[in-house]
Amino acid sequence: MPQLIIDRREIEVPAGTKVIEAAARLGIIIPRFCYHPALGSVGACRVCAVKFLEGPVKGVEMSCMTAAQDGMVVSTTHPEAMEFRRYVIEWLMLHHPHDCPVCDEGGHCLLQDETVSGGHGLRRYLGLKRTYRDQYLGAFVQHEMNRCIHCWRCRRFYQDFAGYRDYGVMQIGNRTYFGRFADGPLESPFAGNLIDLCPTGVLTDKPARFKGRRWDLERAPSLCLHCSLGCNITGSARYREMIRVEGRLNEAVNGYFICDRGRFGFAYANHPERARTPRLDGQEVTWEEACRTAAHRLTRISREYGPGAIAVWGSTRSSLATLGVLQRLCREQGWLGPQFFNSPSRERKVKAAISRLDAGVAVSLADLEKADFLLVAGADPVNEAPMLALGLRQAWRRGATVVVLDPRPVHLPLEFEHLPVPPGGIDLCLDLLVRAAVSHSATEGLLPEAAAAFFNNLSCEYPGDQPLQDRLVSLGMKLKESKNPVIVCGLDIVRESTVVLAADHSRLLRAAKDRAGLFYLLPGPNAFGAGLLSLAGEPSSPSYADMLAAAEQGRIKALVMMETDPFRTFAGQPQFLAALDRLEFLLVLDYLPTPLTDRVQFFLPTTTVFEEEPSGWVNQEGRCQQAAPIYVGGRPISQEGAGSHPPRVFLAGIPGGEPQPGGQTLAALGVALKGTGAPLYLEELDTWLAELNPVFAPLLESKVTHPGVRLLPEARGDYAFSHPNKATLRDVPDDHLELLLVDWTFGTEELSGYAPPTQEVEQPPRLTMQSRDALRLGLGPGDRVSLALGGESITLDLEIVENMASGMMVLPRHRQLAGQKFPEGPILVPLQNIHKV
Amino acid sequence: MLPQEIRENIQRLIEAAERPREQVINVFYILQKHYGYFSDEAVREAAALLKMTPLEVEEMATFYDFLYREPVGKFVIQVCDGVVCWMFHENSIFDYLCQKLQVCAGQTTADGLFTVLPTACIGFCDRAPAMLINGVFYGPLTPAKVDEIIAQLRSEHCDLVICK
Ligand code: SF4
Ligand code: SF4
Ligand code: FES
Repeated sequence: MPQLIIDRREIEVPAGTKVIEAAARLGIIIPRFCYHPALGSVGACRVCAVKFLEGPVKGVEMSCMTAAQDGMVVSTTHPEAMEFRRYVIEWLMLHHPHDCPVCDEGGHCLLQDETVSGGHGLRRYLGLKRTYRDQYLGAFVQHEMNRCIHCWRCRRFYQDFAGYRDYGVMQIGNRTYFGRFADGPLESPFAGNLIDLCPTGVLTDKPARFKGRRWDLERAPSLCLHCSLGCNITGSARYREMIRVEGRLNEAVNGYFICDRGRFGFAYANHPERARTPRLDGQEVTWEEACRTAAHRLTRISREYGPGAIAVWGSTRSSLATLGVLQRLCREQGWLGPQFFNSPSRERKVKAAISRLDAGVAVSLADLEKADFLLVAGADPVNEAPMLALGLRQAWRRGATVVVLDPRPVHLPLEFEHLPVPPGGIDLCLDLLVRAAVSHSATEGLLPEAAAAFFNNLSCEYPGDQPLQDRLVSLGMKLKESKNPVIVCGLDIVRESTVVLAADHSRLLRAAKDRAGLFYLLPGPNAFGAGLLSLAGEPSSPSYADMLAAAEQGRIKALVMMETDPFRTFAGQPQFLAALDRLEFLLVLDYLPTPLTDRVQFFLPTTTVFEEEPSGWVNQEGRCQQAAPIYVGGRPISQEGAGSHPPRVFLAGIPGGEPQPGGQTLAALGVALKGTGAPLYLEELDTWLAELNPVFAPLLESKVTHPGVRLLPEARGDYAFSHPNKATLRDVPDDHLELLLVDWTFGTEELSGYAPPTQEVEQPPRLTMQSRDALRLGLGPGDRVSLALGGESITLDLEIVENMASGMMVLPRHRQLAGQKFPEGPILVPLQNIHKV
Repeated sequence: MLPQEIRENIQRLIEAAERPREQVINVFYILQKHYGYFSDEAVREAAALLKMTPLEVEEMATFYDFLYREPVGKFVIQVCDGVVCWMFHENSIFDYLCQKLQVCAGQTTADGLFTVLPTACIGFCDRAPAMLINGVFYGPLTPAKVDEIIAQLRSEHCDLVICK
């Protein structure tokens, strides 16, 4: 490892480290524009010049282009280097419009910082400045090209790092222009990262435009809740309004970057229709009265009909504290629930997944980037968990093979092998592929007994599709060569058996190769936490649907709905509202303005992740992370004053500041129910969780600090392989098509569905099918079709593609289709129910 | 609309290459020759044929001096902008040319005959100052020589199309 001296201080760094990085390790931040740790060096800006006094390199050189070597003596403050940097800044500023006062970057601008630190204070150039025409780049990114210093960061991220091809660099020399071929929205769902990366005010945050300088903002480290990956963000609020989200470095999870759903989906927190006061029978009440009344009514129902007449629903978008206290209350009171998942199959899949993860196989997103073979079973990364797509791309850039087994028309910003097989065929493909990869170990008797038994049970043919079978075997041979394979498994469209098989196969690969990883995608930002609680709650709670039926029959008299929107599950089902009407008591707690919040008699407002208290969230690899509160809460001043000065009245509290963290409200309810003997629900939460499920124990030992605490059991040698029936292909009957309900990057996720910027970019829902099926139905491109489902029908645009499984149709669970009831489980639609209109 | 014959020609060229991108510049030239300059339509055609995005085509097309993204005159005069030529530009040949034709660098004469463009070093430093007209070399230049060349091109309308 090279040893060198920078500014008279010695440091040893790994071979290959650039001098700019070595200096950073000493806390010396050498000026830079083009260099970025995630993008590497290009030497485009020349502002990182330092003086090399001794060693293999001599003179003024670029510290980002020079690898640290033994014997180097470097000065960052040598007069020659400083003079060089001052000239560089001066020429970079030559054409700059000097418009900092109206520039959104002002206040956190690297160009401002380096101009000042470089000592360039007087303008000498008196000529005309070069100017550019700006482009419209869509709803998220604002373009002001005159401020560009040609550092190339944007283009390197957009094309090289992220793999999208509609933004880049044109022209040469003084005319060099960064933009698109023509005005139009940026196509990449990662485009928002350009805002963080651009060191000047060329690319700025459009929705946050003109809303405040950095020093006006309340900022804190927070977490993204728009999928299960748990990317780290920095949130900013001003005047009680969330106005901006930026990516925050977590080297184990998202690196520097986040996706646009995570960056622009936060505005649900500012929603003008968010109910912000406790409400009882249509009247606003105080928290004390609300808690007292709720406890009173629940006690009465419990006494009259038994505690089993009270049922509790939760969700996967609540903090760990909320989930934990909810579970504890149910235990103590003997209520039914809580049920955190809106469908039994979802619950079973989540439990199957997390009970099979352990510290040995679970890989983080950062680990996944180092894999050399990625087998993606039933996942559509860009649409389900966008940052996974960037992770896969980084692995691919390092040479990994990526194979996707999924019926959907999956797009990824990289070269990959897509085998569009139906959900029922994914198991078979996994079997065939892994079988081919490990059969040599099996025949040589190198597999442990359990793994060998599992191996012997694997399917060895894909009925009726020899070419596919051959393809799988040849990919299997590639997998055989890999040293660090990872299986990625989505939970959404796959059969339950696939979730189990993914875990089994990763264990089998591990047995054959010593190293193999497993990476699930889960439904919701705290699905892992909810799953851990559900696992400890065996026998499991009845499903939403069962509880609803019980309510309809009058066996359940009270329902507590904690941060869940049952309309997303039951809309369009007439019995649903009837069942709710039969209840004697319905208590709804939420931070979203769901269709339910307006209808209910008894409503208690909760806070979002951005307000009031820190909250814990467990991502899909079992990493518990903490989100700090950004602001204290309350109704945005812009709403309070309707755009003008807020009302001039004296209040003791913050207007609209009543919402409380869900866990805190539940704890207060517990106290009201139990009286003085009540436990310290929140203070003792971690202890109670650890008793419930030992996997929570790490929460007791350490504080949840960056980069998070893994809640996973140790790897054990005695993994119990499942013994599924030999995987078989369940084909769809010839006169039917299977309808897959899927996620889209924009338009289907619950929280961002309430945010105007993400609403603006969502596409209207459309039905997608394979060209052969379209032909069968006599449908052509551009047709509108009506799809009859259980009596009702919906009309949509049709999209015809080649790269998906036939016998299927794909439809997003779109916000705009809310109100449409879809049956549970695989949905088979008879061909005669699909018409051209 | 690109004539079918040209399209097929280009497709054959691309198919024969190991990687389509090897043929990028050749395809650009064929399209430029057909359209008279590398028009927006040419960019889109090139993108579709080479499986590139219009942006990627634009990135390349705007890098090179001999691809014209705007309409040019019948004769494209590329005056060497290299350092050696400038050392020999006594009384500035470049200015003389521009004044004579009544255009600035980058402009086309009103009659549509001449476009004057500066270009990177063309490698004729030994015969500086130098220029290319539709790819044909002229130099060392003097004002008298420039007069002569322009007069000849005006009167003879000779066809020097090479790089279009
Ligand atoms: S737009 Fe920004 S990131 Fe891109 S080259 Fe210019 S200054 Fe750099
Ligand atoms: S990938 Fe998921 S967690 Fe990460 S920023 Fe996007 S929505 Fe948020
Ligand atoms: S940071 Fe080194 S040249 Fe730009």
